[in-house]
Amino acid sequence: MPTRGIAIAAAALAAVAACRQADPAVTVWHAYTKDERAALEAWAADWNRAEPGRAVELVAMPYDGFADKLGSAIPNGNGPDLFIYAQDRLGDWSAAGVVEPIEFWIDDATAARFTRSSLASLAYRDSLWGLPLATKSLALFVRTDLVATPPRTTDELFAMAPALRARGVYPLAYPVADLYAHAPWLHGFGGQAMDGDTPTIATAPAVAAAAFARELVAREVVPRDANTTQVASMFVDGKAAMAMSGPWFVADIPASVPYRIVPLPIVSATGLPAAPYLGTDGVLMSARADDKDRAIAVALALTDDDAAVARKLRARQVVPNLRAYRADVDAATVTAFRDQLEHTVAMPVSPTMRSVWTPYANALADIAGGAAPGPTLERAAADIARYARPEAPR
Amino acid sequence: MTAGAVRRALRDVALVGAVAWLIVLVCFVRERNRAAAAAGISHARAAAVAIGAGERPASAVAAAGLVSAATPSKAYPLLRRRTVDDGAGVRALGGPTAPAVDKLLYDAAARFDRTGAFATVLADGSGRAVAAMTTPRGLAIAVTAHPEPLARLPWLALFGMAGLTFALAGLGATVGRDRGRALGIAVAIAVAAIPAAWWGGPIATALVLALALGAAVAHHRGATDRALAIVRSHRIALTFLAPAGLAMLVLVVIPFTVGLALGFYDHHHGRWTFVGLANFKRILTGDGHALSDPLNFWFILGVTLLWTFANVLLHVGLGTAFALVLKQPWLKARGMWRALLIVPWAVPNYITALIWKGMFDAEYGAINELLRGLGVDRVSWFSQWSTSFTANVTTNTWLGFPFMMVVALGALESIPKELEEAADVDGATAWQRFREITLPHLKPALGPAIVLGSIWTFNMFNVIALVSAGKPRGSTDILVTDAYRWAFERGEQYGMAAAMGTIIFLLLLAWSILGRSLTRGDEEARP
Repeated sequence: MPTRGIAIAAAALAAVAACRQADPAVTVWHAYTKDERAALEAWAADWNRAEPGRAVELVAMPYDGFADKLGSAIPNGNGPDLFIYAQDRLGDWSAAGVVEPIEFWIDDATAARFTRSSLASLAYRDSLWGLPLATKSLALFVRTDLVATPPRTTDELFAMAPALRARGVYPLAYPVADLYAHAPWLHGFGGQAMDGDTPTIATAPAVAAAAFARELVAREVVPRDANTTQVASMFVDGKAAMAMSGPWFVADIPASVPYRIVPLPIVSATGLPAAPYLGTDGVLMSARADDKDRAIAVALALTDDDAAVARKLRARQVVPNLRAYRADVDAATVTAFRDQLEHTVAMPVSPTMRSVWTPYANALADIAGGAAPGPTLERAAADIARYARPEAPR
Repeated sequence: MTAGAVRRALRDVALVGAVAWLIVLVCFVRERNRAAAAAGISHARAAAVAIGAGERPASAVAAAGLVSAATPSKAYPLLRRRTVDDGAGVRALGGPTAPAVDKLLYDAAARFDRTGAFATVLADGSGRAVAAMTTPRGLAIAVTAHPEPLARLPWLALFGMAGLTFALAGLGATVGRDRGRALGIAVAIAVAAIPAAWWGGPIATALVLALALGAAVAHHRGATDRALAIVRSHRIALTFLAPAGLAMLVLVVIPFTVGLALGFYDHHHGRWTFVGLANFKRILTGDGHALSDPLNFWFILGVTLLWTFANVLLHVGLGTAFALVLKQPWLKARGMWRALLIVPWAVPNYITALIWKGMFDAEYGAINELLRGLGVDRVSWFSQWSTSFTANVTTNTWLGFPFMMVVALGALESIPKELEEAADVDGATAWQRFREITLPHLKPALGPAIVLGSIWTFNMFNVIALVSAGKPRGSTDILVTDAYRWAFERGEQYGMAAAMGTIIFLLLLAWSILGRSLTRGDEEARP
């Protein structure tokens, strides 16, 4: 009996020792679903076969509450080593010690993998906070049965209105009272919502862009009240000849709808292309990652050109890797968004931006209803200033 | 003096003394960690000074050296290059295969660029310290090799003091009478104030002394005896209540208390700062918005009150009307009608809200289609306050009238038939019967339902958020949706949201008390 006890104890000790010796996996949290998740899991399986000593453990999380979970887990020493998230929270997370700056590991050769705009969208305050995995921006979806030639300028867009309206069809649909959807016009008129950490709301270009949006509504080029869901159904039902939307919209369009995707038109008043916001899914490192050397190795592998090509083919992701595109094998969808990528503006990452969305959207709704753009944007600017920089009460 | 008295004194000392010594333990751990951090920072600073002077650091370092200023990469200016002179020569700092320890130097240099010289404990949980400072030879940075050893708890001294505690309590109980025993307890527990003062400070000391005083007074008045007697006599009942009590504590009491406390703090980029009543002042003074501005608190309160009044009026009116119709003997298939009228209540309110939002859609909504059929122009429902508010009220009326109908139906069933027959015999008109018989019987049942319904409506987040979403420009927001916007749309000002929540709670508390007194009057006047 004592012998048996000793044997069990020795086996248990050996097991514990084995567990302690095994390298813990690099944990990656993500909120990808469907094809994007499948592509990520396929990459992880390949990586784990090739690099058993630096295994990756993927943990899929529901998107709702994902950001809050990261924000509360990591500062307390919990959470993943790496996680995949868009860049819009970087301002908060860098200030709160959630994400690790990674420019230390990135040399020019590594940076050269990516488009400059995608890399820039993950930079904030002189640091790089992640490696770009996929990009998302708006582009123009065109029903080819209703529009033979997509408009190259906004003047051509206006010119299409009378004929299409006579058939009960709106030339274009997008959520007018939404800054994300309005951003292409804002940038096309030379404006911007943020200059670093400072909101720039009631500038002359912004007023001109808002006046342009009001004209689109007044001349019935776009419907006034459509939200994202209604834009999708109007396009699918043939009640809108074109729609401004992103790669996610492709899955909602039935095979029976003939369409193509093209870059957004040039703003005739300025000659500048309408430039949507560029959202970038980045691989970000936790500031409390257990082994940062191993974590960066995984992040570099996950964003290399081969992995990007696999994700592009399997999940139709618009990947930011310059060498991942080949016209002969790429889907038209991917190519179109790749073309639009040339004319995008990185989504602001300043925490102040989160105070901008709602007042700006309210202003756009009022302007679409006929309010004067200048005073309305000035009122929005005052609201934003009040919320964005709250005086610390004494 | 009896053995029982000594036992009771020692018991009270043990119970309250445990809390006092827990405070001492917390003070010790806090002070121990502070001292270790200070020692680490001091070592890191000394090492950086040594590096700056071209000497070897006296204590072990994980990394140390003179780090160059950042030079932006020519191809990618957002990538900034640095070098380090670690005594063995100058080398590049960084690259895909560079060791993690070099990154500590790189990050410290970046922080130095932002904030100037600093010395602090690393935020990676390792307990190591880093210091960066300008020296004649350049920017010197040092990172300590390991966390500083933590001071050990002086167990022997603590055991001695614990022994002294019980000895004093026992002595007091043995030689003294009532006041002597109480004094013994107070002095015994107050022994813990010595280490609390040593490791903690005035607050911890005051807390321990207050505990000592409280225990002595409680013992002297027999409060602890009574409390323990109650626990003993209701042991089984308390055992059954414990899980529910624990759940209430975790799910209600703690969040509620935290919520109340957060109202006194400002949250800015992950940092909390105590601001006293400033959040409440900011809300109640309108936050710089004119009274007619939809973002002014008083405007929102006005909308909330109007919203609540309109809804409750419609709920009660429609609910009572349907209940009266359902009670009529001539109505066929009464059960079916009753079931159909309860359906809006049975469907989850967010689903109903989304359906109504779709029906109010300007372009393709059913309401506008109906109006078009009647020759009325398309209405952009959420572009004006009046139509947007109407859309919200319509949705919530649909959701809320079945509850009042069910309450009214129950009350109507309780009206004695004899009363109605007597009224018939007396030749009362329908209006007289309603006013003199039906209404007095409805009031006691509808009173509490109205109070409850008004509280639900006052805080009906789903309908406002999903139907109008506050449009236009927040003018149809109610207090609870405005609190949401403070938390999630205005730079995560959780303190303001919590203060708003506290104000909502106080308003509803006042309304509940008022409603209770009103309905109590109804119940007393019940025929």
